[in-house]
Amino acid sequence: MLFWQILIDGFAISSLYALGATGFTLIFGVTGVLNLSHGAIMVAAAVAAWAASGNFGAGAYVGAVFGVVVALLLALATYYLIVRRLQLSRAVREEEKEIFILTATLLWGIMIQEAIAYLFTNNAKTVLPIVDGVVTILGVRTPANEIFTAFVCWATIGALWLFVNRTLAGKAVLAASMNPRGVTLLGIELSTVYVGVWAIYGALAGVAGVLLGMFLGVSSYSAGPLTASAFSIVVLGGLGSVSGSLIAAYVVGYLETLTAYLISPAYRAIPALLLLVAVMYVRPRGLLGRR
Amino acid sequence: MLRRALVSPPVLISLIVVLLAATLPLYVSGYVLGLLTIAYYFGVFSMAWDLLFGFANEVNFGPSFLIGLGAYTAGILDNLYQPPIALCIAAGVLASMIGGLVLALPALRVRGPYFGLTTLVAVLMLQNFVVVAASLTGGEIGLTIPDVISIDDKVNYWIALGFMAVSGAILYGLTRSPVGLILQASGQDPVQAGALGFNVTKHKLAAFLVSAFFSGLAGALMAFYLGTASVGTFIDVTVGVQVIIGAVLGGRRTILGAVLGAVFLVALGETLRPLGDLATFIVSAVALIVVLFFPAGLLGMVKGAREAT
Amino acid sequence: MSAPAAKLEVSGLQKRFGGLTAVRDVSFSVHAGEILGLIGPNGSGKSTVMKSILGVERPDAGSVRVDAREVAGWPPHRIAQLGVGMVFQHSRPLHRQTVLENILLGLLPDRLLDLLPRAAANARARAIAERVGLTGVLNRRPATLPFADLRKIEIAKAIARDPQVVLIDEPFAGLTARETASFAKLITEMRDDGRAVLIVDHNVKSMSALVDRVYAMNVGEKIAEGTVAEVMANETVRKVYLGGALTTAARPEAAFADAQTPFLEIENLSVVYDKAQALEGVSLHVHEGEFVAVVGLNGAGKTTLFNAVSGLVPYAGDIRRQGKPLRGRTAAMIAREGIVQSPEGRELFGLMTVGENLDMGGHGLGDKERGERREWLFNLFPILKERQRQTAATLSGGEQQMLTIARALMMKPDLLILDEPTLGLAPVVMEQISKALERLRQTTEITVLLGEQNVTFALPHADRVYVLEHGRIVWEGDPSRFAAEAGAMYL
Repeated sequence: MLFWQILIDGFAISSLYALGATGFTLIFGVTGVLNLSHGAIMVAAAVAAWAASGNFGAGAYVGAVFGVVVALLLALATYYLIVRRLQLSRAVREEEKEIFILTATLLWGIMIQEAIAYLFTNNAKTVLPIVDGVVTILGVRTPANEIFTAFVCWATIGALWLFVNRTLAGKAVLAASMNPRGVTLLGIELSTVYVGVWAIYGALAGVAGVLLGMFLGVSSYSAGPLTASAFSIVVLGGLGSVSGSLIAAYVVGYLETLTAYLISPAYRAIPALLLLVAVMYVRPRGLLGRR
Repeated sequence: MLRRALVSPPVLISLIVVLLAATLPLYVSGYVLGLLTIAYYFGVFSMAWDLLFGFANEVNFGPSFLIGLGAYTAGILDNLYQPPIALCIAAGVLASMIGGLVLALPALRVRGPYFGLTTLVAVLMLQNFVVVAASLTGGEIGLTIPDVISIDDKVNYWIALGFMAVSGAILYGLTRSPVGLILQASGQDPVQAGALGFNVTKHKLAAFLVSAFFSGLAGALMAFYLGTASVGTFIDVTVGVQVIIGAVLGGRRTILGAVLGAVFLVALGETLRPLGDLATFIVSAVALIVVLFFPAGLLGMVKGAREAT
Repeated sequence: MSAPAAKLEVSGLQKRFGGLTAVRDVSFSVHAGEILGLIGPNGSGKSTVMKSILGVERPDAGSVRVDAREVAGWPPHRIAQLGVGMVFQHSRPLHRQTVLENILLGLLPDRLLDLLPRAAANARARAIAERVGLTGVLNRRPATLPFADLRKIEIAKAIARDPQVVLIDEPFAGLTARETASFAKLITEMRDDGRAVLIVDHNVKSMSALVDRVYAMNVGEKIAEGTVAEVMANETVRKVYLGGALTTAARPEAAFADAQTPFLEIENLSVVYDKAQALEGVSLHVHEGEFVAVVGLNGAGKTTLFNAVSGLVPYAGDIRRQGKPLRGRTAAMIAREGIVQSPEGRELFGLMTVGENLDMGGHGLGDKERGERREWLFNLFPILKERQRQTAATLSGGEQQMLTIARALMMKPDLLILDEPTLGLAPVVMEQISKALERLRQTTEITVLLGEQNVTFALPHADRVYVLEHGRIVWEGDPSRFAAEAGAMYL
């Protein structure tokens, strides 16, 4: 019984991690940016959905869409106001741009987090779920929402896969992650590709955030740990490798679930961190890393 | 050349500022003194960070790892056995230096963003450890440290000021010395440094240990000043961010600027405290504006203006 | 009485990178008070030899002896401490330090506890600065200094180390005639000091007055050794640099329709790159349908020239396409509008298959046209058809080069810019590419601008030839007259 419960719960959580990590690694793979405001954007999406569906009574669907839109706008703002500005800046030397972008996105994330706390308090909030009720799978009573979460995560990842592998725009994104100069030489404006990637990232983070809000609830305090877990997974799987992130997300998700169930919920983050440390020492590139 | 280095403008001005600061307890409230005491310790944190980043070219994204090791080791030791304070502090410094070694090893093997990530991971590890081993560390509530160095505001202030001044002198002197020159070469252009006969690994390792030494020492001292240690004051990522912002605000690669930045941040945070949650927002916003529009930092801009003339 | 042992002795040196043998059985020695010139075109392996001596690369076989001690495989800083100094090709001063401090760095011992500044070291640094001519700028920072002064800093650092063996990489690139002369003087002084000097460069011409002996390499092996005159007269060397007896098939300029306004016009182009003048006052033109070769050694500026045309680097001067200036158009626009590059670095999408790379090139075409064009290219480069499902990164060098050209052709270019297509390729593959180019020339009306250091490859295809040297056009004319007129300055 417990086994199935762990299997199902772990699957749902891992799927959520996978979606969040996919966005994070996509941005890194294509633009080289480690966006430390990732968690904050996810929380913003969730809180926006909560506010729209709950506070303003717009209903669960509209609220969810609103949340995703908010994340999209925040992601584009991150690109235009911060990343692009620093990448084009002549006051900062090339070698230092990375840390400046890291620091700036971190600060931006803190700003978003604090703004949420100020406007909506830092209490935990649960977003109005789209799907209700309980189903019984393999003898385990599971909230239908959990199934819904896993389903939407995979549908989104599937849509991303289709986009990247079957559309020209998606292939341009993939090509840009391999060789930006090559993309320019073929007559495709890199700047357009980058805007597109950040928009996609915003959508991914938004969906992940809203789903998280429905599944487990969020508060402004969640921002930091969310970013931390996203980049742990991404580093584990290999920076820039989407398939690596997917695998790593499930490794981490299941490690956490097993720990929470079999040892104690308080220790859930430890094994994943230990694994991360081991990977850092033994194989810093991660499982399937390229860069 | 030594004589000229000693009487250079930055040194003279710093000396004057320190002397002035030493007179503050005579006419300033205990509240402000307490604030500045914390600011001075953060000044040392930021200076130690600047040594690693500005000179060895290593981005330590989790300075609070080293700081936390120093503070907690000293505090836990005191809590358990109440040995003399000096011993606790020494233990804290040792722990921090071992931590520095642990961070240095992957750093010298990996390129690019990986080192930054390693340092962030180290902070998370320490944070989790502290929370989980709550019986030893006081967990999320915090650790109470029974001994304090002094209960007098003025004495604590002078200790902090003196410590900061001495640390600053040592760190600044280090960067202006021949060894500092070698370190800068190792950081800026390791291939050439090797071709010039310098063992880059050795020098970077030394830089890590020095940075860890000062971070741990300042952390331990601050723990004994506060009488408590908690994740929020010593380990949290936001602590690390404050340290980094302080150095960047003040002007990286100046060492002395780090103190300016740290004091400015603490003052700003305090001034805005009545605004509650909005305070952090504004401080972050100000820091972001500096990063985006004035990356050279306060002292950096002054230096730039001087060099242009 | 036997001759004194060589200060630097390399014997049987061998280095492989994956399947590629970069250096095979290279042996030479340099004695104290002697200057040896190591020359070779790009891809000859001379950089790998240099790196093996410095400890940056570890040779697979063979030995490197400095003052009779075996140093192959030692870490660079230990080899440097033994007395091997290096003057890098690209100036790399510490930007935040003054000139004096930069030189001082060369005088410091590798100690952790060197905390007090030393007066003696300072005085010595000043003396060295005076010797190279930097006294006036001792307290300035490198960013404010002209190119030649930066080169002087490099040589000052080397002198400061007081080395027994000095390696100098391309010493005169970017210097004026006067600066070259004073630099050459510094190098001969180093030799007269009793050091063993090894100069590494592309051709003999730049160092002919300086060196005692020359060791010439190509494709990882020795092709000639001896005095300057001996090497310059050597058959193999002449073939590598000047091409052998060539049949050319040039069409006269009058044959092209757009005499008044050539398809591509470049007027007085100048590009400054990292302080160095990469291109100066370059003017050339290409008629529609014409095949123009720009010939020059590595570092001459060909890639910079092409990048300027493609809109990838800022420039001064005019570049016009059919009379209309290209300035202001983005690089992607220029490519879309028909000026397409097959770059030196290939810039392929490594994890995509051959077919996908080609499809990316044909992104602007309709499905049917794209398919047709693919077929045509598979016809031109049959091996690509065989490998169409393989990822680009797993292809051989030659196959990758063919893919690069094919991908560029997918874009239906009006002007195809080929940057060093034969770099590092085996003769058999060069032959295949040459045949494909020939077919292209005969069956289509494409305009081609070819940049090559391999004269044997370039000349048979060209209608006209330009020679680019150190950023300037030094000769223009018919390919059949190249060996006679331009050969001397090339070798």
